[in-house]
Amino acid sequence: MPAVAFDQVRVAVETEDSPQPKVLLDAVSLRLDEARVGVIGANGSGKSTLLRLVNGLIQPTSGTVTVDGDDTVRAVRKVRRNVGFVFTDPLSQLVMPTGREDVELSLRRSVRNGTERRSKAESALARLGLLHLADQSIYELSGGERQLMALAAVLAVEPKVLVLDEPSTLLDLRNRELLRRTLADLDQQIIMSTHDLDLALDMDRVLVVQEGQVAFDGAPTEAVAAYRHWCMQALDPAGRDAP
Amino acid sequence: MRGHGFLLANYVPGNSLLHRAPLALKFLVVLACGLLSFIVVDWRISAAVLAALGGLFLGSGAGLKRLWGAVRPLAPVLLVIGLFQWWQLGGPTAARIVLNILVCVVAASLLTATTPIQQLLDGVVQLARPFQRFGADPERFALTIGIMLRSIPFIAGTFADVRDSAKARGLERNPRALVLPVFITSVAYARQTGEALAARGLGEAED
Repeated sequence: MPAVAFDQVRVAVETEDSPQPKVLLDAVSLRLDEARVGVIGANGSGKSTLLRLVNGLIQPTSGTVTVDGDDTVRAVRKVRRNVGFVFTDPLSQLVMPTGREDVELSLRRSVRNGTERRSKAESALARLGLLHLADQSIYELSGGERQLMALAAVLAVEPKVLVLDEPSTLLDLRNRELLRRTLADLDQQIIMSTHDLDLALDMDRVLVVQEGQVAFDGAPTEAVAAYRHWCMQALDPAGRDAP
Repeated sequence: MRGHGFLLANYVPGNSLLHRAPLALKFLVVLACGLLSFIVVDWRISAAVLAALGGLFLGSGAGLKRLWGAVRPLAPVLLVIGLFQWWQLGGPTAARIVLNILVCVVAASLLTATTPIQQLLDGVVQLARPFQRFGADPERFALTIGIMLRSIPFIAGTFADVRDSAKARGLERNPRALVLPVFITSVAYARQTGEALAARGLGEAED
């Protein structure tokens, strides 16, 4: 498995409301080399920032992030070739009118020959059982089918690492299960943020992100228990909000 | 989000004469139709060209439904333009202007309905290649066209959603309640698309 390493990473952004920069992530040092890594935490805790650092979509204010030894700032193109990113909303990710066209778009840089590109795109779609939906408008697909289509477009270029930012948030139970099974069969290293704690329990290692810091890092069952405990504590610090 | 209000017809797989025609020829036909709208002054010629293009569209197997789908979103605008021109310049001029716009839309739809988008993008790359010596990246040209084709239905769908939301709140007569959300959603969509393209390494300069 390729190793994703964070070394003393801090991400801060300027805001209009305050003279001090807002810290999104602070003092994160990690080495992720497990096949399945989950990231859980409250909304706005810094999960997406952590994931975007892996693909170079966000650059650290200080510290470094490397993927297989490649710095995500200095070697961003190489990093992006090796790290596929799946967004929460597939509609913002699929940029072509149909799935086939979108998968072919992914392959334009690497496969110049049109016939070869078409054949590779069909293989990528067939692998996820999507070939029968290849020529349908992306608007006519269900949420789950769209998410799998976005996944197929990312997997077509055979990345080593797959980063998924809350991929099941917009899915119903059936489609969530479909996505879960599809992810389980992939060879890539997966780093995924989620609010679905069942999905988090499938991982080899889970990070709990809280207020821009990794508050827990360990086995899934313990991480989920710690997260539940903190959520309950935040909801009911003095028993006022208890039902 | 609804995204079916599409101005140009999507590709329809087939093996008609038009499907097999070279891309350059189809592109020249579209270009000629665009030029025609400036040159032709007789509405009857425009009507004849439109009828011929309509015949070709149906002959390609793309179907009447897709043809109507390409024209329908324009109908209210054409009605307004037609009535205004009729009032200002008379019936024949109004008919010529409306028919010429339809000629351009149907010709462009004919191209997109009978050409796979990747072939279309390959054509754009070929066309943009001479500009490479001035620092242009042909793949970026192609990507821009692709994103444009994809963004039209998104914005049309956003407009439909915003109109429904405004209706639900009794604000359908308030232009600000219609225009501002569409504008904000479109900007957010552009940002998300940019981020998605960057994540996939698309649109970056060639290695």
